[in-house]
Amino acid sequence: MRSLALAVLAGVLAFSGEGAAAGARPAAAAAAKPATVKIAIEGMKFSPADVTVKPGDTVVWTNKDIVAHTVTSKNGAFDSKVIPPNGTYKFVARRKGDFAYICTLHPPMAADFKVR
Amino acid sequence: MKTFTLFAAALLTASISSAQSINDAQIASIVVTANQVDIDAGKLAASKGTNAEVKKFANLMVADHTNVNKQAVALVTKLKVTPEDNDTSKSLKEGGDKNLETLKGLKGAAFDKAYVDHEVAYHQAVLDAVDKTLIPGAKNEELKALLVKVRPAFVAHLEHAKHVQSTLK
Repeated sequence: MRSLALAVLAGVLAFSGEGAAAGARPAAAAAAKPATVKIAIEGMKFSPADVTVKPGDTVVWTNKDIVAHTVTSKNGAFDSKVIPPNGTYKFVARRKGDFAYICTLHPPMAADFKVR
Repeated sequence: MKTFTLFAAALLTASISSAQSINDAQIASIVVTANQVDIDAGKLAASKGTNAEVKKFANLMVADHTNVNKQAVALVTKLKVTPEDNDTSKSLKEGGDKNLETLKGLKGAAFDKAYVDHEVAYHQAVLDAVDKTLIPGAKNEELKALLVKVRPAFVAHLEHAKHVQSTLK
């Protein structure tokens, strides 16, 4: 039990060193507990437009607009197909990488999503 | 053709802007009619258009304006507002019918260009009406909020239409 606590503490310390520079969230990530990150699709924009998550995290896009949208990665990693108004799309981040994505219906709508 | 389209758009703007003390039932009618007019033109262009970008834009107009109307109808039903015909909604309908008639007489590239030119003018006119008349005139907060919410989609449509228009020249 104590060794586990120390290991976790070491993890927190190791992470906070790295996290301070990157400006990330230290404690939650060190515990490696998958998080759920929410992204709104509103006013013909993805908000926030640049999101970084950890492998295992779930990302949920909610369409708060009055028209349908898609969440489609440029490299083919994921494609929500049509998300109707008030609909959601859930994606579990499994592998690390950069996933720039767009709404294929309204291509000027573009955003970044990274798994680190 | 272009002069006609611009003239029609100018008339539309003038008739909407001159609407004094507009009520929510009239706004509801204008919103539903404005969407329906664009859905009808989009359906025609989706089947009769030749350029792939034009057809894609037309399909998007049908999808987006159908969604907007679904929510507009749901809201007015909830608010127990019965859309009330008025000069603006009538002129929108007449303008839409004239546009369909003109488009039906055209083919190929001439059809594509006429449809897209009209879409640019139409979205500009509707946006002006949303900003100058409908949002300021809406009394019910939910109706006002719906109009505010729909605005970015219309802006995106106008930009999209202008982009397609630039590729046709």
